[in-house]
Order: sequence, then structure tokens, then C-alpha cells
Amino acid sequence: METIEKLEKIKKERKEIIESFSKNKPQDTYIDKTSSKITEIYHTIITDIKEEAPDVKTFTLTADKSSTTPNLAPFKAGQYITIHLTIDAPPVTRAYSLSSSPTLANKDIYKITIKRVENGLVSNYMLDEMKVGDKLDVSKPAGEFGYNPIRDEENVIAIAGGSGITPFISLAHAILEGIYKCNLTVFYSVRKYEDVIFKQEIEEINKKKKGVKILVTLTREEKEGFLHGHINQEMIEPFIKEFNTILMCGPKELYRSMNEILNEFNIPRKSVHYENFFVEYIPEEKTTYQLKVIMKDKVSDITCKNDETLLVAMERAGIKAPSLCRVGECGYCRSVLLEGKVKMIGASLKKAEAENDYIHPCVSFPDSDIVLRLDI
Amino acid sequence: MNYDYIIIGAGIGGLSAGLNLAFNNKKVLILEKNSLPGGLVTTFKRGRFEFDASLYDLMDYGQDNHTGSLQKLFKKYNVEIETLPIPYNIRIKSLDEKFEEVIKGEIDDWVLRLEELHSGSMSTFRSLLPVLKEIHEALVALKKGRDNIEKDFPNFMKYIDKNTEEALIDLNIPKETIHILGYLWIEIGSPLNKLNFIDFAEFMYKYIFKRPVALKNKNIDLALKLAKRYEELGGKIYYRSEVSEIKDIEDKKEVILKDGSSYRAKEIICDLSERYVLKNLMKEEYPFANQKENARTISMNGLIVYLGLNKSYQDLKLYNYRYYEFQNLNSATNMKSMKNFSHHTIEAVVPNIVNEECSPKNTTILVLKTLYSKDVWQNVNKTNYYQIKETLADELIEEFESAFHIDIKEYIEEMEIASPFTIEKYTNNINGSMFGPMRLGYDNSIHRLLSYEDEKIPHLSFVGSSSLFGNGVDNVFYSGYYITEKLLEEERRSE
Repeated sequence: METIEKLEKIKKERKEIIESFSKNKPQDTYIDKTSSKITEIYHTIITDIKEEAPDVKTFTLTADKSSTTPNLAPFKAGQYITIHLTIDAPPVTRAYSLSSSPTLANKDIYKITIKRVENGLVSNYMLDEMKVGDKLDVSKPAGEFGYNPIRDEENVIAIAGGSGITPFISLAHAILEGIYKCNLTVFYSVRKYEDVIFKQEIEEINKKKKGVKILVTLTREEKEGFLHGHINQEMIEPFIKEFNTILMCGPKELYRSMNEILNEFNIPRKSVHYENFFVEYIPEEKTTYQLKVIMKDKVSDITCKNDETLLVAMERAGIKAPSLCRVGECGYCRSVLLEGKVKMIGASLKKAEAENDYIHPCVSFPDSDIVLRLDI
Repeated sequence: MNYDYIIIGAGIGGLSAGLNLAFNNKKVLILEKNSLPGGLVTTFKRGRFEFDASLYDLMDYGQDNHTGSLQKLFKKYNVEIETLPIPYNIRIKSLDEKFEEVIKGEIDDWVLRLEELHSGSMSTFRSLLPVLKEIHEALVALKKGRDNIEKDFPNFMKYIDKNTEEALIDLNIPKETIHILGYLWIEIGSPLNKLNFIDFAEFMYKYIFKRPVALKNKNIDLALKLAKRYEELGGKIYYRSEVSEIKDIEDKKEVILKDGSSYRAKEIICDLSERYVLKNLMKEEYPFANQKENARTISMNGLIVYLGLNKSYQDLKLYNYRYYEFQNLNSATNMKSMKNFSHHTIEAVVPNIVNEECSPKNTTILVLKTLYSKDVWQNVNKTNYYQIKETLADELIEEFESAFHIDIKEYIEEMEIASPFTIEKYTNNINGSMFGPMRLGYDNSIHRLLSYEDEKIPHLSFVGSSSLFGNGVDNVFYSGYYITEKLLEEERRSE
């Protein structure tokens, strides 16, 4: 056959096959269904507020059925959501671990538990101003912290300090409901009895005796039925088996002291997992710098104090900077540092990101005047 | 704002298109919905590990003495990357045939091994090599728009309408050898009885003559280098800019973003699945393009398990760079078994074999992948999503352990699982498919190439894995180059 003829024949056959199909737009396939689509923001309504302890409240958030997100995304115990608030105009966000059972997400319910932080903008607003019926936008669930049935051992020891108990309450529910088959012992350290969050829930969980035990230790008072003092080697020892997984959520000092204890038990690095939720940096001398933010087609000149992150400075100035974890982990806020120096505390940067001047503004404190590129 | 060209998506195809246009002094804007470039060519961090999401073997980059198209284009744009050679070091196992073989060493060792397995395969395999070369050269000529290719390339014309299986039988390759060679079909995503021989030959040519190489740095380093060079050449790129609509305004195209902002250009180039664009972004009807998409088969999707192990690959006895386990060596039979969740197709890669520095000292990265076709994920919903994902990943790890007698589980320090839902979220690939529309029958890349001019939608082009040349970084990068060359040519003609 002549070449041209053969090529023409191939083209003709292709055309005929194509033209035998429908001219209508391609149909939806399973992954496009709104119910399975994961979106960045979910619209919820506060349907219950429960006082857990003085200055601690659990908020029940239910999907706003009349909104564009009538369903909530699933999550794994240990994950967090980030709430979006508009307090006196500038939008701010905060991340909170989900304290409810993952199965509640099937009913489009999330629960978060918020403790008042002294002078905390968001926690004070949530505790004092928010009421049942108010609307609240939240992020999709995120975060890597939690129990992993493939990676982790059957004997799980959790170490919680203060409000670090929240992800473990979710995990406890997940185990009691049969999602995970593991033994969980939680050591929960608080100052005084009155500071214990989830008193009732902890009692109910312990009563079930189904593989989950939550032991509360009070560091500043003694009380019957409670352990006393900081979590120590003697407390944990009876619960250590041949293979263990350690999950920790709390302040950095707790991690430091725990690591010493864990060394005594020869727990390998791979079996210890932390949640980061504190970023602290105190500059030697307080000062204020200029921050120029270059956003696609516009530029904004604002100021940034050296004891606040670039993200906080942008939020204060009303710039809708993206944020999710707020501890440098997730990279959602990544921006390019065009000029200036920053102190970056614990950002989880990819190697090539670091080489290309990317920073995570949520954990970056200015050390000079700054020019930042943030595409929004 | 007005541009000459707007490119939607900063995947490798989009970046390639951008580079060529910026190189030719065009005013270009790339709109990318994620906060980093690269699309699937990206990385993510878990603990002390940085995992590459997709790219391990860079095809058609070539070595010093044998440069591939990718390297030539990188040179042209002044993009410098460091690469490492990838040796033949592959273990293949098939359950039905009780077959297990290691392909190791250089091409000659490989041919000798084939001969040992099946007497007579050496000479036929050798006779295949010039055919591969001829077909490659014919394609180069065709892409350059040369006529009269029948004279110089008779084998190209002979096999242009043959599928791979037919052609290899015609070339006297023993059936067993076809199956052994055929393991590579899984990298292209189409079974050999549907994959056009020209497509297969081109892949084999690159595989044998140009040899794949690995990136010394992580995936994202390549993507950032391309993006940086594009910006240096005057191109503009906006991240966090998801497009919601493309429409005709006067004699231009207008692109509207989710936040309501809009940009205009004469030409739009999409580094996105064609199906996604037609379905979700266009109000105008393009009947033929719709027909084309309705006729297509969405390629396979998969489950990828990324593992960070706390021992060296030597200690773990992970001595091979790649591992494949198939239920059956026949690709068509395998494809059929991918329609349900329990089957045995495993691809594994141990990047440390090629690049010791890809993870911290005394650790290993192991990536396991299994493929599914059709709608196996149909009944997965939020109530069972994590459970199914974890169960499948667990089965995959155990299957790998028992197939190759290697203990993995107790050494897992970090892990992540990517499902089709994950892929869809980052790429908008329909159903989270990994290879673009399947290259089969009438819709292999040779067919797409031949019909390109006839099927082109005015002022709307496609690059990337749903474009002419299919998936793979070499192909998507070349698509960006080829399509923009055509557009520039058109522009010159109309002036």
C-alpha cells in the first residue's frame, strides 16, 4: 500500500471510531461526586458547646446542610482542623486537634476542644463570644499525627500534657469502636484536678475496659484515684512491652523529659511520634520591621514586629494569607523570601525549597526588613 | 491583563510549553492551583524522609555520549540538572508461570540471559534492535514534518498499524521473550495487544539505547529549576491560582480564576486532562472533542505506598532497584484482573540502589505501587475510605514481603499512602488516573500525532499526559515543546 494511503486510512479509521461516540460533554465519574470531593473549606454550624473544665470548652460543629459543603470529609484520629475566624475584620486561623470519634464525621460532625490562652485572640473569642447556632468555617482535616495500624505496634503508650489530650480522646473512641485493634494507655499530665479536660468521657472510657486506659497524673496536687507528679519511669514501666509505639502531644519540655525516659527503655526512634503545636521565639530586643508582600498583581507594605510571625503580621494587616497547621509542618503557607532575613523555628522544608528561598511564614520571625512573594 | 499565551497548570508539560514560549520572547502567564510547580513531579516530607511522589526513571535524557531529547531541550534553555545512571537491576516474578528472573548487568548480559532462558531468542532479540532504531528515526522525521518517510523507513510503515503483540510475533520474537520484555508495558499503562508497536518501539528504543537516568536531587528540585529558568526568561507564573472557567471574549480567550480575577490571551494551553477541561472549564460546546473524550478509556489508577525504613537496603536485603510481581506475564490477562481489589500486580522501586543519598544514612526508601482499572473505587466513600486504603496498603506490603522473602513491616518508620483521590486532588486527573487517556487501538500516540492538525481546537491546546505523546516526563516535556513549536509556526504563517 502506498504510504499516503496507509496514513490516510489510519486517520480515517480513528475519525470514524471517534464519531461513533456521543457529542455530549463527558459524564461525571465517581471521583467527581460532590460527596467524595475534598475541598479546602467546609462550612459548619456550632450545634453544641460543652464546658469541659474552667476555661475549656468542646464545640460540636455540624456541616451546614444549606451550604456548598453539606458533607464533611473523613479524618483519622490524631488529625486537626483549622478554624477560620473573622474578628473585627482581619481573618485569622487556628488549628485544633479533633477530639471526636472519626465515625462522627460520617454523620458530618466534628468536635474540637479549646482551652483559653492568656491574651489569646482566638481562644478568648471562641470561649466568650461564640454560641450555638453560629457559623464557623473550617479547613479539611489535616496532619500526620496519630496511630498507624501498619507502622505501629499493638502496645501504644500515649503521653499527653494539658490540652494535648484531645487527639487521644479521638483515638480512644476509634479503638473502642473497633477501627483500630491496639491497646492504648494514655498518661495525661495536668496541674490540678480542676484542670482535667474530658472528666466524664475519661471515666466512661475507662469503665469499658476495652483496651483503652487513661491515667491522669496531677503535678500540683494529690488526690485519691489519681497519680501524682510528672510522668516518670516508674509510672510507665509496668506498661512497656517488648514492642511499643509512643505517641506524644504536649509542650516541648514534656517531650524533652520523656525522651530521657524512653532512652532508658531502649525504644527505637521509629516508634516515637510527636505532634508539634507550639511555636515560641523570644527575641533579645523587641523591634518592628517593614514587610513588603508581593501578591500576584498587587503589593502591600505593612509592619511586622520581631516577636510575631510574618503570618500573624499579614493577618493583622488584613491580608488573606493561607495557613493550615501554623507550626511549620504542612507547607500550606509557603512563600518566597525575596529580600531580608528571618528566624525560622522548626519549619519542615523540602531541601529544594530551602535552596530556592522558600520559607513558611507561620513560623518565621523577621530579623530585618522583609520582601515576601506570596501568590494569592 | 493581556498575554500572548496563558498556560493552565505548571506540571512538566506546562513548564516546558512556558519555557519554549518565553524563550521565543512571548508574553506568557502560567496559572497553577498548587503552591509549587511540577504536578506529579513533586515531593513530600514525612519525618526525616523526603519522598518523591512519582518520578524515578527519567527516560530520553540519555547519557553523555547518547543524549536524548530531554537533555537537548534542557541544554537549549540552560537548565542544568545532575543525573545518575540506572543499571539494569530488575527482579520479575509471575505467579501463574512460576517464573522468577533477575535482569542485571549490561544489555549484553541481558541478551545472554534471554538466550539461556529460551534458545534462539538472542539472535531474534538482536534483530529487533535495528528495527527499534529505524522506528525512532522515522518518528523524528515525522515530528519534523518530513515527507516520503516510506523510502527510508520501511519497517515504520510496515508496523504502523500493528499492535505490539502482532508485531513482535511477526519479528519472530519467541512468545516467552515477548512476555519477559513485556513487563515494561506497565510503565506505559496499556496491554501489549492494544499498545501500538510504534509507541512500544519508541519506549524500548529509549530504554535500551538512551538508558533511563535518575535525578540526583529530589523531584521538586527539577520542577523548581524549570520554573526558575522560565521566570528568568521573562515568563510569569502565579501559584494558588485555580482556574474555574475558560471563555471566548471578542477575539480572545478569557481565563477566570476561582477568586473571580481574570486574564486574557490569544492562545490557551492546558496542562490538564482534556476531559477535565471540556467537562469543568468550558461553556462552549466542542462536539468532536467531546466525542473524542467519550471514545477514550481512562487509564489505570493505583495505590502507592511510600515507606521510610529504618535500616539500610543492604541490611534489608533489598538488592534490586525494581521489583515486579505479576499474576500472569500476559499483560492483557493482567489488565483484566485489575478490575477488583485483590490481585497481584506489584511494582516496587528502591531508589537508594541508584542514589545512596536519597534518604538518611542507614535508612531506605521503598515505594510500592499496584494498579487498578475501571471503577474499583466506585463504592469507596468517606465511611470506609481510610479503612480500605489501609487494608489495601497492608495487603500490598505483605504481598511484597512474601513474594520476595523480604521483611519490611517491622522497619517502617514513616509511611504514606496515595490513592486515586490523592492524585485527583493535586492534578485534577479524572478518577485520579496516572497515565492520562489510555494509549490503545486507534488512540496511541502515533494516531494522535497524525491527526493533530485535523483535531485541533482553535486557540486551545493540550500538553502533558493527555496530550500527543502520553505519560512520562520525557513525553510530557516533549509535548510542551512540540505543541508550542506548532503554535509558533502557525503564528509566523499568519503574520
